[in-house]
Amino acid sequence: MISATQRRVFWGLVWFSILVLSLPTIIVLGASVTSGNMIAFPPEGFSLKWYEKIALARDIRGAFGRSLIVAFVCLVISVPVGTFAGIALTRYRLRFTSLIQIYLLLPFTIPLIGSGIGMMLVFGNWGILGHVWPVGLACAVINLPFIIWSVSSSAAVLDSDLELAAANCGAGRIETFLHVTLPGVMPGVITGGLLMFVLAMTEFLVSLLLTDARTVTLPVQIYNNIRSIITPDLAAISSVFVVVALIAVWLLDKLVGLEIFLKSK
Amino acid sequence: MTTDPDNSDFRYPLRWRLMDGAERLLEIVWPRRFGRFTGWLLLLPALLLVGILVLGLWQMAESSLHVLDRNTFLPSEEYTLSNYGTIWQSATYFKVIWRSVQGAVWTVVFTLLLAFPFAYVLVRTPRAWVRKLLLIALFLPFFIGQVVRAYGILIVLGTSGAVNDVFGLIGVGPYRLLFNFPAVVFGLVQYMLPFAVLMLAPALTSIPQETETAASSLGANWLRSMRHVVLPMAKPGIVGASLVVMTLSLTDFAMPAMLGGGSQDFIANAIYDQFFRTADQGLGSALALLLVALGSVLVAVIIGLFGAGTLGMGEKK
Repeated sequence: MISATQRRVFWGLVWFSILVLSLPTIIVLGASVTSGNMIAFPPEGFSLKWYEKIALARDIRGAFGRSLIVAFVCLVISVPVGTFAGIALTRYRLRFTSLIQIYLLLPFTIPLIGSGIGMMLVFGNWGILGHVWPVGLACAVINLPFIIWSVSSSAAVLDSDLELAAANCGAGRIETFLHVTLPGVMPGVITGGLLMFVLAMTEFLVSLLLTDARTVTLPVQIYNNIRSIITPDLAAISSVFVVVALIAVWLLDKLVGLEIFLKSK
Repeated sequence: MTTDPDNSDFRYPLRWRLMDGAERLLEIVWPRRFGRFTGWLLLLPALLLVGILVLGLWQMAESSLHVLDRNTFLPSEEYTLSNYGTIWQSATYFKVIWRSVQGAVWTVVFTLLLAFPFAYVLVRTPRAWVRKLLLIALFLPFFIGQVVRAYGILIVLGTSGAVNDVFGLIGVGPYRLLFNFPAVVFGLVQYMLPFAVLMLAPALTSIPQETETAASSLGANWLRSMRHVVLPMAKPGIVGASLVVMTLSLTDFAMPAMLGGGSQDFIANAIYDQFFRTADQGLGSALALLLVALGSVLVAVIIGLFGAGTLGMGEKK
């Protein structure tokens, strides 16, 4: 940026964006440690009593546990499926590649409410509605393009001569896969798995459609509580998500570096 | 040759024998001559998983063709298009659809206004730590999830919230900032900003900084070099970001539900109400399919403009 005016205008807008993006998070963190019974900013005194309250609340612990189950089911389904698909798309010559790509992008192109309602009808027909694990399956479906994308981008830079060399040295197909292909795409698998886990933890709309009063996940629990009353214990639950997000960003930065998202293709 | 200390006849390690067994098993289950189809085999689970969505669309199409029988509260037997007729004639749904489209357009305008400078500074800043901090500010909300973000906005904009506190300091207000149309658009802009920046940034990365230097050395001020040099070159990224933001905000549920307070429903909220309040599956399915169709048109435009590889899935070898 050469001109001072431009710098001032752009940085002004950037600071406004940072404020808009971060202020709600900071306020939530602040509100969660208030010692008063009302959400107020600045908080009236410091106390961790709301954390104690949510740690003891049975419905919240249950919802948190179910969210973890959903995230794990999503991980267990999506990581192998996404890894194989990502490898297949980059390392094998397939016909109709662009058609397959459009098909595999359906989870992104169908609006979330449409996917959610559709899966609600399908799961209802299969008689599995009312369990927790179908929510994990649904999360795996709607976020699948993320892991396929991250595995494909690491598989694309893997030299295919390495696999031929392994085979040439007498390695079988499983051995080649386990010792050459899989380690090669591992960064993509880990990044994709991380995305899938966190997105399943925070998934709201599809959970709302697929759960009932006995199987609510944590985001749905927060949503239901907000509609009744806003108290600081909700801020404490929300802070749990902030911590999860902080860990996720830190891990993502350590594993692949956040700057990778700025590269032009 | 390695010799085992206490056994003279050499035995392969267990891991080798397991691996050999696995290879032999694979040779039976999936012989090498099937090699041509291995790619398809690996792709199959993903195709099946996404197939659940296709099945869902099919079910919605099927149930949208039955009207709700008001006497028995069960879907009627015969096939009819009257659910679509109901939507077509309803002034309420027209209003909801019109509100969603307006909300989406305003969201695109404000999101791009904020995302463009953000992406520009992100790409052009010479300091690595500034870039890192900007990226963290961008990714953190993305991972926090929509409900918690909406909750944060509820607190910030509330009657006794931070914004009204600031207004109080300068002696105005308090204002009612929540549960109206602008609040929903604000929430959507906050939600969409990371997506838009991440779509714009690669487009801006590919513009060499020298072009701007050249423009200014030829006497263009920064506004003119933005308008005539940077914006035209970033056009694909800008169009792509607009369409993605448009589609996502048009179909959003959480922000209108939480920040609109029930009075600012978008299409997704109307669909939800059909299923869970009035329990009219047929009408709800018809609405949902219309939304899917609307979204697909927008997506078709994206794919037509940039190709299916927009997400870089399966790079060309």
